[in-house]
Parts: sequence; C-alpha cells; structure tokens
Amino acid sequence: MTGALFAQSLVLGVLLGGLYALLAAGLTLYFGVMRVVMIAHSAFLILAAYLAWYFHETSGLDPLLSLVITVPLFFVVGYGMQRFLVSRLRPISLTTMSVLLTFAIALTIEGLLGFVWTGTQRRVQLGYSGTSIEVAGVSIAVVKLIAFALAAISLGALFVILRKTSFGRALRATTQHPEAARLVGIDTDRVAGLGFGLGLATAAIGGTALALDYTIYPSLHWHWIGPLMAIIVVGGLGSIPGAAIAALLLGVAASLLQVPLGTTWAQTVFYLALFVTLMIRPQGFFGGRLAQRF
Amino acid sequence: MPNASSPTAAPAPTRSGRPTAARVARIAGLLALVAVVLLFPSLAPDPFILSVGVVILSYAVLATSWNLVGGFTGYISLGHAAYSGLGGYATALLILRTGLDPWLALIAGGLIVALIAIPVGIASLRVRGASFVIVSIALVLILQLTFQSWHDFTGGSGGLRVPRPFGTEVLRPEQHERFFYLHAVLLALALLTWWAIERSRLGAGLKAIREDEDKAQALGVPTFAYKLTALVTSAFFTALGGGLYALWFGYLDPIFQFSILVGTYMVLMSLLGGVRSLFGPLLGAVVVGYAVEVFKSQYGDTQLHLVATGVLLGLVVLFMPDGVIPALTSFVNRRRRAASIREVSAEELANQREEAAR
Amino acid sequence: MTGSQGSVATQDLTKSFGGVRAIDGASVAFKEGEINALIGPNGSGKTTFFNCVTGMIRPDAGTVTYQDRDVTGLPPHRIARSGIGRSFQLCRVFPRLTVLENVLVAVQPHGLLQRLRGSRNAADVGRARELLARVGIDHLEHAEARDISYGQQKLLELAGVLMGDPHTIMLDEPAGGVNPALVERIADLVRELNAEGRTFIIVEHNMELVMGLSDHVVVFDRGRPIAQGTPAVVQDDPLVLEAYLGV
Repeated sequence: MTGALFAQSLVLGVLLGGLYALLAAGLTLYFGVMRVVMIAHSAFLILAAYLAWYFHETSGLDPLLSLVITVPLFFVVGYGMQRFLVSRLRPISLTTMSVLLTFAIALTIEGLLGFVWTGTQRRVQLGYSGTSIEVAGVSIAVVKLIAFALAAISLGALFVILRKTSFGRALRATTQHPEAARLVGIDTDRVAGLGFGLGLATAAIGGTALALDYTIYPSLHWHWIGPLMAIIVVGGLGSIPGAAIAALLLGVAASLLQVPLGTTWAQTVFYLALFVTLMIRPQGFFGGRLAQRF
Repeated sequence: MPNASSPTAAPAPTRSGRPTAARVARIAGLLALVAVVLLFPSLAPDPFILSVGVVILSYAVLATSWNLVGGFTGYISLGHAAYSGLGGYATALLILRTGLDPWLALIAGGLIVALIAIPVGIASLRVRGASFVIVSIALVLILQLTFQSWHDFTGGSGGLRVPRPFGTEVLRPEQHERFFYLHAVLLALALLTWWAIERSRLGAGLKAIREDEDKAQALGVPTFAYKLTALVTSAFFTALGGGLYALWFGYLDPIFQFSILVGTYMVLMSLLGGVRSLFGPLLGAVVVGYAVEVFKSQYGDTQLHLVATGVLLGLVVLFMPDGVIPALTSFVNRRRRAASIREVSAEELANQREEAAR
Repeated sequence: MTGSQGSVATQDLTKSFGGVRAIDGASVAFKEGEINALIGPNGSGKTTFFNCVTGMIRPDAGTVTYQDRDVTGLPPHRIARSGIGRSFQLCRVFPRLTVLENVLVAVQPHGLLQRLRGSRNAADVGRARELLARVGIDHLEHAEARDISYGQQKLLELAGVLMGDPHTIMLDEPAGGVNPALVERIADLVRELNAEGRTFIIVEHNMELVMGLSDHVVVFDRGRPIAQGTPAVVQDDPLVLEAYLGV
C-alpha cells in the first residue's frame, strides 16, 4: 500500500468511524440506562435517511434541513417507545424480551419502508454530491466531511448533556445505580424515557448524515446493526467513551483492510473483533462492572 | 444405583390430580398426531399441498431444535438460521467436494456444525443474555456476507445446486412423500431428545438457569457447561434440519440460507406455541408455517410479510411472552378456578424485587 | 467431618465497586461446627462478603479458604460442590418450577451419564420429599414456586440448599420479612442441622435471633470486621455500639 493510499484510507476510516461512534453511543446509551439491546436502532437510522431523502425529493431543500423535523420527532418516538412499550416488559426477562421487541420493530420498519417506497435503491443527488476537497494529497468528499462534522458535533453535545447538565447527572446515576438514584429522588422511569429519546435522536442525526453519502434501501439496516453491536461489546456494554473509541479504531481498521481485501471481507473485522473480545475479555475493553453481568 | 423399591419410592409425580386420565389423554393425543403425520401424504390432494407439508415439517424441526436452547435456558438466539444454513452448505459441499454418500454427508454436516457451535458458545455464553443475542445475529450476518463473497468455495451469491439423493426415476410427488417422512423422522428424534433432556438432571439444571442463573449456580449447577451442551445439541439438530431441507429443495442461496427472517420464524413459532412445552414449537410451526405459505401464495413476495411477522412477534412479546397456547390455557384455568385467588402473588413480589434491585 | 479443619476463612479480602470499597481488607475466620453470625449495619459489606466467598463475585484482592483449601475465584458451582450451600437475601426460588423440581435442581453429580439420568428417579424424589417434609412444605410439592407464600419460599430455598448436602450453610437474612412463628421454626431447623454437624454462617439483622442462636459473632463495619467473639462479648464491645448507634 502506498503512502498516499494509506493516508486516504486512514482519513476515510476516521470519517466513517465518527459516524459509527455517534450511532454506537446511542446504542450503548439504551443499554446503560435500561439494559436494552435496541436492535431497531439502525432501522430507525435508515428510516431517518429515507425521511431525509423524501424531504429532499418533495421540497427540493437540502436534506440536512430535515433534521429540524426528524430529531424532535425521533426524540418523542423514543420517549414513547420506552414509556409505553419497553417498560411493559417484565423486569426479570427484560434484556432478552427487549431484544425481541426491538427486533420486531426493526422488521416492521423495514417492511413499511419497502411497502411505502419499494425496495428500489435511493440516493440523494445534491449540487455538492460529487465535490471533494484535497488536503495534502488526500481527497475528501464534502458530504463525508459534513457527515463527520454532524456526528462529531452531536457526540460532543451528547457528552456535554451527560456530563454538565442535571439531567445528565440523573441519567448517569440511573445507569450506575438505579435504586440509589430513586432513593435520592430521581424519577428513573422518566429519565429512562428521556434517555431512550436521546438515543433515538442520535439515529435521526446519523440517518441524515447517511443519506448524504450512501445509497439506501430498506434492508440496509442489517449492515449497520452488526458492526454497531460489535462496537458496543468491544467498547464494553453501556460505556459511551468505550463505544466511541472502539468505533474509531474499528472504523479505521475496516477502512485500511478494504484496500487489500475488498469491502465485504473488510466488514468481517467487526465480527472478528466481537468474537475475540468475548473470548479474551467478555466485559469489553473499556466497560465497567455493568458489562460483566451481560 | 439407588434401589427403585426403597420405602420412600413413589411413582413419578405428575402435575394433574388424576394422573391416569391425563396420561390416557396424552397418549391418545400422541397417537392421533402420529396418525395425522403418517396419513398426510396419502390425504394430500396434490403435490403442492404435500410440498407445503414438507415445508411445515421442516419449520417444525427447526423450531423444536431452536427450543433445545431457547426453551431450556431462556437464551434467545435470533440467528439460528446460521446453523440451518451451515447444515445445508456442509451437506451440499461434502457431497460435491468429497463425493460422500448424501445421507452420510447430512450427518457429517450436522457434526461439523455442532463443532462450529462450540467456539461460538464459548464466546457468547460466559456472560448473560445480551452477548448471546448479539453474537447470534452477528453470526448470521457474517455468514451471509462470507458465503456471498466466497465464490470459489460456496458458489457465492449465484447459489449452489445440491445433488439429489434419489435418482431421476423418482418423480416429484414421490420425492415429496419420501422427504415428508424423512422430516417426520428427524422431527421425532428432535422431540425425543427434548423429552429426554427435560426429564434429566441436565434438564433440571437447564430450566433452573432459565429461571435464575445465579441461584442455579449457587446450587451447584455448572451453568456454562450446561448452556454449551444445550447450544451444541440445538445446533446439531438445526443443522440436520437445514441439511435435509437442502437435499429436498436442491438449491442453496446465501440470502435465504442465512436469512434473519428464517431465524425469526423459529423464535416466533416457539414463542407462539410455548417454549416450555414439548409440542409448543411444533404447534407454532404449523400455525406460522401455514400462515407464511398462504401469505406467500396469496400476496407474493411483498414487504408486507415483514410487517406481519414484526407486528405478530411484537404482540406476542408484549402480551403473551409465555406463548399464545399457554396463555389461553392458563386463562381458561384461571376462570375455572376463579375462587382460589391467592392472597400474595409471589411472582409480582419477585418482579417488584427485581425492579427494585435494578 | 472432623472439627480440626478450618471453616470459611478470608485473608485481606478486598472488593471495590467504582470508588467504593465494599470489602476492605477483611480477614475473618469462622468456626467449624458452630453457628456463626455475621452482623453489621446496612451497607457494611455483608452480602458482598457472602458473594465473594461463594464465587458470585470475584474479589479484587485477598484469598478465601475453605477447610484449609484455597477456593478464591472458583466458579460458584465448584464452591457449592466443595460443600458450601447458600441462600439469598430476599429469598430466591425458581418461580416457574414446581416446589419439588426446585429441590431436585440441587442434584448435579459429576459425569455425563449421571447428569443425563432422569431427575425424577425414586431415590432423588424420595430424598427431596423427605427434605420438604422436614421444612414442613411437602404438601405443596406440585405447586409452582411462584404460587406459594413468601415464608414458604424461604423454607423451600432452605430445602433446596439441603438437597446438595452441604457441610457449611450460609444464610443471608433467614428471618427477613417472615412472621415470628416462622422465625422460630427456622431457628429450630438451624439448631437441628447444626447438631447434625453442619456449620452455619448467618447474616441477620434480628438481634434477638442472632444472640439466641449463634455461638460466634463477627461484626462488620465498612467492609471489615471490627469485633468478634461470643454474643455476650460482642454485645458489650464499645466499637460495636459505635458502629450501630453512631455514638
């Protein structure tokens, strides 16, 4: 591999890793707060991408503007999903049953997307779709930069929300010790609902970023959920920094391997990492005590 | 060996107050089931209906095999299509590459897949539920990916033709009939295995894991070894199911072999019929399998079947997680015994406690 | 079983959760053949200590020995097999198994053939029924465990522990949440079983019960023992009074 190609792959890997990081952060957030493996996360991601595409098709405006609608919408849907569906499940079998429930939701979304917009592949065409800028011999598509910037800003915002606000403190308390959180007067049910909404909002942002750069089709979400689940296990279930670091590392690894191996085989790096992690360190590399139990 | 005629010995306990009547009913039901299966090929009006019968039996084999791990341990595998798909490919590739006899290839394929399940189990069963589900889905996705790309070995996305075990002189309806009975035999073996495990100490330990894994461990149940045993047994039967189906269908396509949807059907069938009972998955397979086939022939391959599957699964999980049939029976029982309402619901208490401990 | 061997003992046992030291360098030796009690204020690390000894939690540092053998870090089922049975705080039974099945779970011998043997064989069922009769709930054997009362569940849990024929029995709050009559019954059972040669280690908040039942008391505070001895000695220890009353 030449130096230029290496640099190119590295940059692409970081850009992709950023998007993975945002989405994995959402996925691990649900798990941290509610012990829920949210299989439908990537189905919502694709739904958001479709909404961005449809918004662009019908209004002719930039798909980024659809965020104004989809982010609050997804937040409310996520809140509702937790309060009215997930919370109905028996606590004793919550983890497995929530997998089935969110899996059912993913299938339903995929089916509805195919039903409403057919299985045809869709792509957003923009004035700046083909433009790229060149920095030090590395050419970067503008849409990828925008997607990365979006992911980085959202991840930063998520970090600030979790670290600096009182809601964030309540959320972290709920994650670490729900019983103690209740004792100090935190409404953990409401916090869980808001946490779920926050997680789903990241899917809205990720989906819009995805629509800028990718061809989309209803079953695309399976290609995302696999790597994302691998990332959160490698990072340690429930650990947002862990998810972000694992996402960047694996994104770069996949991107670098793509040159000698091709896209398909490069994808297997996620699954390989998942397998190796579970073999040598089942609790993940950055996770705390929470992950040991699951 | 303990003495069976020791003074404390008592007949094996049965749940019913009138064991003899219940036993007679059970044996009658079993005989009726066997009779229906034996007579079905001669009663089927045309080869198409017979082929639907084969498909449903195949689903029943897969669901019953799935239940060997799902029902006993409570660990939900959404990617069991990985094992059926691997079973199909292993059988086909052994015939094609080594010229092995098809039936030996089928069994060898099952054993190979059981071996593959061991490292998968080691990776995913040491920790609790979540990792297991994640690995199960990841497995089916990675296999779909590799079998599509690995042209030289698997035929890639173009698919793989499976040689037929019976000569060309055996006509279609005859083929269907033979495979119908072969599937019935495999189903009987899977049911027998489930039944034998259920009554064993292994089964007692597995059910304890399903109910409360920590507690089971504290009582001396080697939980990891037991879970692994259940997974490997389940993978073996699932692979045989996949292999037998491949021999009948004669063609493998990675998209359908390693399909998330097939794995979902196994879960849905088992949940619907009830994971705690021997015949639950079979019953679920008949209902769901029939519905799927009718849906396909009526509406073709639209995206609506995804929606229907998703909605049905969601409803079962939300409202009848113990299965539709168990829910209906317990509803009937409860109405019948409405007078004996217990003063404290221990399960509610347990749920509250669990909630408090979260 | 001779009394010369040591029972459960720990050396510098330490376990932290996040930044909190639940057990802080605890060195304790329980007495073989006696009824030992482990007491201490809420959050003093008693349950965590139980979990470390029985392998449910891996300690960060220190060792656990049982009958002079190092059992630190062994998986729970191995520790159970070495002869330590335990109950759980708030009582845990298998809710959807019948009372009889609950007890039969504890028969898990070595060897594949032994494990594949029917769990409802006459010998096992006979012993299970004897134990259910001993704790007084044999009439409920066909009921599902979730359908019996909380007190009955406590007795069932004890029967399940006894099915494994443990030499040492660790009970986590056996009298918690049950009526006084049942507390008496449990206390009698403990005395009987102790007379048969079984060692007990009991975490309990009911001081009357602890003082009346136990031979040896260990007091925990902030993850380490602060006093031990006979009930009478411990009761008068100023450190204990301070820990409990904050004086």
